[in-house]
Amino acid sequence: MPLPLPRLRTVVLVAGAALLTKRALRRRIRSSPLWPLPALEEPVSGHAERRTTATRRLLITERTTPAEGVVQLRLKGSGLPAWQPGAHLDLLLPSGLVRQYSLCGDPADPDTYTIATRLVEDGRGGSREVHERLREGEEVEIRDPRNRFPLAEAPAYLFVAGGIGITPILPMLRSVAASGADWRLLYGGRSRASMPFLDEIEKLDAEGGRVTVVAEDEAGHPDAAAALAATAPGTAVHCCGPEPLMDAVRAALPPGRTLHLERFTAAAASSAGSAPFEVELRRLGRTVQVPADRSVLAAVRDELPYVSYSCEQGFCGTCRQRVLEGEIDHRDELLTDSERDDSMLICVSRCRGERLVLDL
Amino acid sequence: MSNTQPAPVTSERTPLRARKVSFAWEKTPLHWVPGDPFTTHTINVLHLLLPAGERWFIHVYRQVLPYIHDEQLRQDVIGFIGQEAVHSQAHDDVLPRLRELGLDPTPYTAQVDWFFEKLLGDRTLPPGRARTWWLMERVALISAIEHYTAFLGDWVLNADALDRRGADPMMLDLLRWHGAEEVEHRSVAFEVFMHVDGGYRRRARTWATAFSTLVFLWQRGIRFFMENDPSLLNGKGSVKEFYLGGKRGTLPATGDLLRSVPRYLSRGYHPSQEGSTAQAIDYLAHSPAATAAEARMTGTS
Repeated sequence: MPLPLPRLRTVVLVAGAALLTKRALRRRIRSSPLWPLPALEEPVSGHAERRTTATRRLLITERTTPAEGVVQLRLKGSGLPAWQPGAHLDLLLPSGLVRQYSLCGDPADPDTYTIATRLVEDGRGGSREVHERLREGEEVEIRDPRNRFPLAEAPAYLFVAGGIGITPILPMLRSVAASGADWRLLYGGRSRASMPFLDEIEKLDAEGGRVTVVAEDEAGHPDAAAALAATAPGTAVHCCGPEPLMDAVRAALPPGRTLHLERFTAAAASSAGSAPFEVELRRLGRTVQVPADRSVLAAVRDELPYVSYSCEQGFCGTCRQRVLEGEIDHRDELLTDSERDDSMLICVSRCRGERLVLDL
Repeated sequence: MSNTQPAPVTSERTPLRARKVSFAWEKTPLHWVPGDPFTTHTINVLHLLLPAGERWFIHVYRQVLPYIHDEQLRQDVIGFIGQEAVHSQAHDDVLPRLRELGLDPTPYTAQVDWFFEKLLGDRTLPPGRARTWWLMERVALISAIEHYTAFLGDWVLNADALDRRGADPMMLDLLRWHGAEEVEHRSVAFEVFMHVDGGYRRRARTWATAFSTLVFLWQRGIRFFMENDPSLLNGKGSVKEFYLGGKRGTLPATGDLLRSVPRYLSRGYHPSQEGSTAQAIDYLAHSPAATAAEARMTGTS
């Protein structure tokens, strides 16, 4: 039986409707690629602030010795990501070691990062490798700068630097000096010959009186307490240097001043090698002891065998847990600053005090 | 119930662990398969789907760990989630490079983020049957998706045509490191599903859902890239181009793909019957990213 032919009017109507639908769809898909799905209000993919897996190869164009035992490297790329004073980058050394170094060059130069490192004789080999193996004309791999030590907004500044701790402070000094703000610097080191950037710092202090340089072989340790006592309320104190210096500054901080510390955290994640502490698992209602030679993860697993984890080296992030109380000693290389406020990777990170409370 | 049982090939099993890879993207061009935007963008869709998708895998697997009562399988799952976590990070870190090249993926990825985090997220379900049902449904979906990722991993390890056409070595290393780890862990998701549920109706249902969803996401992804590629006027993709890419070997062959898809439904199917662990391990032993990761692991004090 022959099929009845549709009437012309029906054909025109159907074809027209199809065309309109196609155009409407195309318009929607153009503005919303997965229409009809909505979008997440704050996109996650492609906008992460965690440590990136992406690296960059830069050319070492200059290797100088600004002070005894200190090597400064100028690393050249093109169109490098911008950075602010206080930022550091990860240097991926040829041996596989990863070390963090503060940027001490000019933030306005889009093609160069400058870092300076001091040779640590009894260190873990990172600075030795920089000093012995990195040469002009070679390429080196880095991860883009991040800033854990930004320059605070304040009416007045006190900077306290110990030795190579001057590196993140130096771009801050330039920025603050250029803005005309009130600033002081207390800069301690072993000897004048071993303290980098003295010439430039003295130039920044052209009218004099802002900078106090204390070399240990001439005048002993810098008097942080006196410098802090001389600050006006509202002063932002930025400090970078060895742990005893930062402790001294923390202890002597008068009320009304804000304190900003740069810690040279262990870049190489290792869970062991510190004091024991205890961890309360709040939801379980149990407390476990974490000895110096065990990780939080290992201790928690005794109570909660199903807790998730994987790499055990602080890079995959699957063991991240919420922390309700206690001061965290972050030893991972992954989490963002805001994630660090209330969570930790229990495979490598530890406790600065005696007790942590986990949301487990 | 059929008496055919999934038959794992035991020699294909290997211990799993995450590798701390990194990649430098600043030299990778927009069309990293030179002169072939369609192939480039078809493969680029991976960078749109995997960051959110693999984060979701981990989210689901963290919840399924207490259901696993086999120590060896638990160790496999632990290795699996670490590998997936690094895959997600590595593909995520390609996205800023695409943005630099004038192809901002955010309109698409923000919707994929919604898809995995909201539509396929935990939802407000009462504890008990509803919550378990939804967890098992997602475990089954992951198992089906891993069937396709293992297929793609095996394909990219053997896609010599990409080398011959001068594809960017950094991108190829990312794809092959990822592909090799997908081949390494290709049995885990299926074994988890069989261990915690294994129902054939659920397997068939989620297979169909996963496949049609992937086709939808991929087709829209290619279209998104081709339309927004700043170097193309009126860029379009088509089924014909996909078929031709398969002929050239720069994309999976359409026939292989169509034959592979229903194999997941065979009662005797086990992922270890397809692909080669030896080939994957061999690639990882020579991959620039994986060998550098190895050095970094031994380098850390």
